[in-house]
This record gives sequence, structure tokens and C-alpha cells, in this order.
Amino acid sequence: MKKIEAIIQPHKLEDVKEALKGIGIDGMTVTEVRGHGRQKGHKEVYRGMEYQVDLLPKIKIEIVVAAARADEVIQTLVAAARTGKIGDGKIFVFDVAEAIRIRNDERGETAL
Amino acid sequence: MSFAVVLDPDLSARPPDQVRRTLAARSTEVTGSVRRAWVKSLQSRFPSGVALAATGGFGRSELFPYSDVDLLFVVESENQIPPMKDALSAFLQDLWDKGLRPSHAVHTVAYCVVEHDDNRELTISLLDRRMLAGDPAMFKWLDERFRAFVLKRGAAIGARLAHLADSRRATFQDTIYHLEPNVKDTPGGLRDLQTVRWLDVLMGGESAQNLARAFDFLGSLRIRMHETAGRDQNRLSFDVQESLSGRPAELMRDYYRHARQVNRAAERALEAALAKEDTLLGRFHEWRSRLSTSEFTVLRDRVYLRSPGAANRGLELFEFAARHQLRLAPDTVDRLNGVEIDARWEHWKRLLELPHASLGLHAMQESGALASAIPEWRHIECLVVRDFYHHYTVDEHTLVAIASLESIEDRRIGDLWAEIDRPDLVRFALLLHDIGKGSGVDHVAESVRVARAVLTRLEAPEADRATIEFLIARHLDLSAVMTSRDLSDEATAKMLADRVGAVERLKQLTIMTYADISAVNPQAMTPWRLEQLWRVYLLAHAELTRGLYAERIHAWAGVDPHRAVFLEGLPVRYLRTHLDSEIDGHVELARQLESRPVAIEIAHQRGAYHLTLLTRDRPGLFAAVAGAISSFGLSIVKAEAFSNAQGIVVDTFAFSDPHRTLELNPSEVDRLRGIVRRVVEGKQDASKLLRGRPKPLLPSRAARLKPRVVLNNDASDSATLIEIVAEDRAGLLYDLARAISDAGCNIEVVLIDTEAHKALDVFYVTSKGGKLDDGLQDRLKSSLIDACASS
Repeated sequence: MKKIEAIIQPHKLEDVKEALKGIGIDGMTVTEVRGHGRQKGHKEVYRGMEYQVDLLPKIKIEIVVAAARADEVIQTLVAAARTGKIGDGKIFVFDVAEAIRIRNDERGETAL
Repeated sequence: MSFAVVLDPDLSARPPDQVRRTLAARSTEVTGSVRRAWVKSLQSRFPSGVALAATGGFGRSELFPYSDVDLLFVVESENQIPPMKDALSAFLQDLWDKGLRPSHAVHTVAYCVVEHDDNRELTISLLDRRMLAGDPAMFKWLDERFRAFVLKRGAAIGARLAHLADSRRATFQDTIYHLEPNVKDTPGGLRDLQTVRWLDVLMGGESAQNLARAFDFLGSLRIRMHETAGRDQNRLSFDVQESLSGRPAELMRDYYRHARQVNRAAERALEAALAKEDTLLGRFHEWRSRLSTSEFTVLRDRVYLRSPGAANRGLELFEFAARHQLRLAPDTVDRLNGVEIDARWEHWKRLLELPHASLGLHAMQESGALASAIPEWRHIECLVVRDFYHHYTVDEHTLVAIASLESIEDRRIGDLWAEIDRPDLVRFALLLHDIGKGSGVDHVAESVRVARAVLTRLEAPEADRATIEFLIARHLDLSAVMTSRDLSDEATAKMLADRVGAVERLKQLTIMTYADISAVNPQAMTPWRLEQLWRVYLLAHAELTRGLYAERIHAWAGVDPHRAVFLEGLPVRYLRTHLDSEIDGHVELARQLESRPVAIEIAHQRGAYHLTLLTRDRPGLFAAVAGAISSFGLSIVKAEAFSNAQGIVVDTFAFSDPHRTLELNPSEVDRLRGIVRRVVEGKQDASKLLRGRPKPLLPSRAARLKPRVVLNNDASDSATLIEIVAEDRAGLLYDLARAISDAGCNIEVVLIDTEAHKALDVFYVTSKGGKLDDGLQDRLKSSLIDACASS
């Protein structure tokens, strides 16, 4: 099993959800986060004053899928979240040791 | 296990007392189980010296199907406790096995008749004690001692109980209007009802007598919730609402009606209990009673009516409550029942201009006056809109939104709100922004329609109506952009700017969005959303103001000829920063120029003076007028200058009157107008006027701001942009403008703003009709820095 964690632009969330639904992925955790990568925030000018915006609002999506499906999910994510501009975000992939459904103690991929 | 509870599905058509009988039957059944367990595990080992009592809901024989069973072991001395341990666990296990949830305590009589800061609930639970088993002499001892204790300390226990209730109610934001209320703990719930009963016992009263029907309603709801869930379920969630009634919205309206009655009784009882405390706070309340007028009496922060007629005169009562941050006395609420409120637009305006207007609105809602003044309000009263995010009914959401503007923590949003010229319009728009909900059609369009009808009836001026309708119609736009638009895409900024049109409206809409989101639930305005909202604001603000200095209005079609001539050649930004009503005023002043060289208007609005001046442009004009105003000791907080194709300048100055010169000497307004006219006509020298003005007090040296002057040739196609940030002081604007004029430059556009001691000044200047060359820029920069520093 793989955990796919994607940091994307807020306005891309609906597109990404739709695209993932299209390939049969319904379960995900979505969090509103703030941060910056290479984009490093940017300068805003307001009323003659410049100030630095350090932490930009982003959306974090977490999905756990069977290892065999990971590539397909990643490709779908990339296609749906891309605008081609700086700040589009990143995807991280982790190995998952175990998944447990709390309700009935099911284990492994069936618990996903 | 079954409880043999059969309740009529129609909650309003039950025989009276059925709830009470059901709860009593359940208590009797559990009492039997507890007694049998006592006989089995404890009786033979503790034939005397220990009594078992029921307390809390079980004690008063009002046990709900899955509620905790509160038990108290009364012992002679602490020494008895350790040897009881094993037998006690066997006893409790027995009860657990029977499916009960015992919650027990072991105390001596002496412990029970003292107040404990860390165990306040004990005293309260003992108010409902009942002998179950064991040594009758022990129970009798406790009973007598506790009676004496209550007799002596009743008022103090009541005050403690009231404090406990207050903090519980605060965790529910002090409102009954939750979409998924907890029927036990939410304000207006069973716990409040019980609190009223306890306070009746402790302080002597009969308030609970009127609550029998409410108890039947809430009690039967809770019984059915327990049975349906098979556990101690007290939260009336959407699912539960649906499982209890085919028409959940109707069920909830019934719920709020009963909860409101309980809530009112609880508020009164708590207030009475706390009033008996003689504290510093109490003395402060007494002091506030001096606020009383010939119409209203203020006692302990509550407003009483002196005569019945005082209630329906416009919104005076509510204005009074909002101005002094008071609430209505229960008696006042009663007297307002059925009173028709005749409020006109000017009454609303006066109420909604107040910084704590929400308190006035709250008082109106509480007393039914809001629905009387705006009958459409009834559409959203207690209206439930079912979604995952909203916590409150629509009416409560609306009032919470307006109240949220009175405790803005974020500085940026707070500043923005303070800058808004007409807070009353934003508040009124918020009051009606969701009035169309529950109508079955698109709520935004419906809200606009209802608002139009209300505003027409109130005879609100056309300009005010237009602003309010605009704000309601667009109230979801910014949130939509926040989540679904690419903020780095230029098209987004353009779309926003086109939709909003003017900076003032953008500010109003941003504040409205802030309030609307904040009132969805207490956690809805996350730092994330706040950041997104601010980004959207900046984006639109930049788009509305960027590049619009250079772009000029040309051949404006579809407006009347006077207007078209006046607008010709003004920067596009002028349109974006002025409302239609203001432009009308300027066109009118421009007409006056046909018969005289200068047209001046001075108005006093919302704590600031506004001077508008139209005349033919000439070098040094702006500086001269700024100097004339400063020479009166007035402090310029905002200024703008634009000129049109005919060479007519529109200069506007907003200034405060720190020494109350104009306020205390009305004739000084005429003198100011005369001096400005003379200065404009060149008959008086502004620098001479300024000589001899006392030097202003500056903040401490550490707090002073280093002046910053930036010249930029890229911001505009035809002019050089100068941005100055400096410590504000009297005459600063005059000195800066003089420095620019003296350098031979012409001021095309001026935008002046202040934040506390900080002046933010923007000038667009030209020299010989074009941008400034490098040499001139350097010279001007150093003279501007000198001008900032000289004081």
C-alpha cells in the first residue's frame, strides 16, 4: 500500500476530487494548510507599503491506495492539479505498513 | 432490556404528566435493582453506619433511560472507606451487569455540608437526595445537616450554581439557536430548566411553574433520543431529527419555541442569583444606573421602561441599549410583547451606525421587535438550514455575523472595517443577506428581492438602497473566488474588479464576507480562510487602483451631458473610488463654477470633516489648500486630487478636529471656507498662515518612523509615481506638496492616507508634461526627505 500526499492550489481541489472520482477513488483526507516551497511567498504592495507574504494557503490531500494503483492515482493528480505555474504544489509518496479499519479490525487493502 | 415507554409520535399531543410518569417508573425500576444489589453485596457487612442515597436526576425520580445513575454512600468517618472497597466493587459490578451506568461517591456527612471549590457539583447533586438503602439514621443525619446548610448558605450556593451555569452556557456561545442542539446542556435545555428549579428552592421563587410544558416537550424528546440510540444520546443531530419526525424543520421550530421559554426563565433566574452577590462588579452596575433618562431606567445593566409608550418610538430603546452596551430587563421584554414598532430608515441608520449595534439588534430579536419592525424577519426566525457547516439557525447566524464585527482580532480586517465610511449600510446588508433562505428558490436573488421591498417601505435613499442591494447580491462572490479561482491568474483580478467596481464597495464586501464566514460556526474563520480572503482583497484592490491614474475617461456615453463634460479626462480611478452619489455632488459643484471661480463644500460626517474643492488648476494649488486647512490646527487624514480635460481639479480632504475648533466654534467653518477661497484665489499666502502654529506633540523617539520616499517611473505611462511613508504631523502634507511644486513639478493625482501616526502619501507628478528625469528625481527625493524630517 502507498500513501500519496499532495499539496495543491486551493482552486484545484474540485478538479482533483472530480478526476480522482473518475478513476474510482472516493476516500481521501483534505486539510487546509499554509506553507511555502520554492515559491517562497511573494511581495504584496498595499497602500504604498510592501510586505512579504510568507505562508501561502494550500490544500493537502492524503490518499492511501493499493501499491498497484499508485501510479495511476499520481498521474491523475498531476494532470488535474497542474496549471504550469510556480506554486502548483508537490506530491509525496510513502510506503504504508498496515491499514486497520477501526470498526471491525479488518486489515490490509480490504480496510482501505 | 425494555423501558415500556410508548410516546405519541406527535410530540404536542401527549397527555400531560406522561413524561414525568415514564421517568418515575424508570427510577422505581432502577431503585429496585440498586436495593437488590445492596442486599446482595453490602447489607450484611455494613448493617449500620452507612447509608446509600440517590442524588441528581435519580434522586428526584427523573431518571432518563440511559442516564448515569448517581449514588452517594454516606459514611460516619473516612476510616470506613478503605475496608468497603472490595464489597463496593462487587456491588457496582452487579449494577453494570444489569446494564446500568452507576456513578458513585463516598463521603462523610461533614464533607457534604461544606462548599468545595473542586467539587461544586456535589452540593448541587445533594439538593435532590433520596434514601435508597442502609442505615436510616445516617441518611437522617445527612438530611438534617444539609437542610440547615442550605438554609444558611442558600444565596451563596445559588450564586455558585449560577456561575457554573454561566460557564456551561458560554461553551455553547450563549445561544439556543444551534442547528444540532444538545437537549440537556445547550442554553434552553433540560439542564437550564433544572437550574431554574434549583434556584427556586435555594432563593425562594416560583419561576419553574410556567415551564411544565417545556419540560414535557424536552423530556419526551430526550426519552425518545435515548431509546432510539440505545445510549445516553443528548445531541439532537440532523439524523436524530429525521428519525423523530417526518417534518424535522417543524420539530425544530417547536424545539426553539420551548427552548426560548426555558432560556428566558434561566436568564432571569441566573441574573437574580448573581445580583445577590455584593461585589465590586455590583457597585459598578450601580454606577451605571446613572445612565437613566426620562424614558429609561438602568438597573444592574438592564434597561427598564419608565412609561409604556417609550417602547414604540422609533428604535430609541434599542439605540439606547446599544449605545451603552446594556440588555433589556425581563420586564421590558414582557412589555414589548405585541407592541408595534414603527421604524424608519433614519432610525435604522442611527442604530446601525453605533459600534455595538449588535446589542441593539439582539434586544430587538429577544423582544420580538425585530419581527415587528421588519415582518419579513419571521421567514428566517428559527429557520433551520441543514448543511454540514452551519451551527446556527438563519436568524441567529445573521445576528452572530453582525456581532462578529465587534470583536475582529485580525488587525488588517480591523483596519479595513474602521476605514469604511458607512458601517450602517454593511450592517443592514448583513441583516437581510439571508432573508430569502428557506423560500425554495435561489436565496441570494430572493434576499435581494425582499431587501428591495423592505428598503422601499423604509424610504431609504436611492444610493443607500443600491449599495445594500449590491452587497446582498454579491455576498457570496468573494468566498467563491477564495476557493475556486486561481488567484495568480490576471483574469481573476480583472473579473473581480469588474464585478465590484469601486474600492469602497470592495472594502464593504470584504467585511461582509468576513462576518458571514465567521458566523457559520465558531471555528469557521480559520487562519487559512482569513489569509485567502485577504489575498482576494489585495488582488482586487490592486486591480482597482493600478494603472487607473494614467488611464483617462474619454467620451463617456450614456450619461447626461453635464456629467460627461465633467468626467472627460478624469482618471478612470476616479470612477472606481467614488460612489455615484458623490459624483453627482461633484457635478453639481462643477456647475457652480459657471458663476464663480471656486466651489467649496464642507460637510461633517461620522466624526470627520470633508472638504471638497473644485476650481481651475494652477501650480501649487494643492499645497496651498493643505496649508490652509492645517493652519486651523486640523489634521488631514485623507486627501485626493484629480483633474479633468477642462483643467478643473477636484480636491477632497478629510480631516479631524483634534482641538474641537470647528465643533465648538461653528463660525470657524465659515472662516475656514473663506480662508481656503482666498488661498485658492492667491489672495493669501498659506506659508504665512502656518507660521506661528504650535508644534504638535510627537510620539516618543523610539516609536518614530524613518521616512521612506520611493520614486518610480514604471508604474504609469505618463507620470512619475512618488510613494512616501513618514511620521504624520501637522502641516506635513503642505510641506510635501510645496516641495513638489517648488521643484517645478505638477501634481496630477494625490492619494493621502494615515494610520495612527503614519502617513501614507502617493503622488503622481509630471514635469513639463512628462515623467521626471533622473536628476530631477534625485533632487526631489532629497527635498522630500527633508520635508518629512522638518518639524
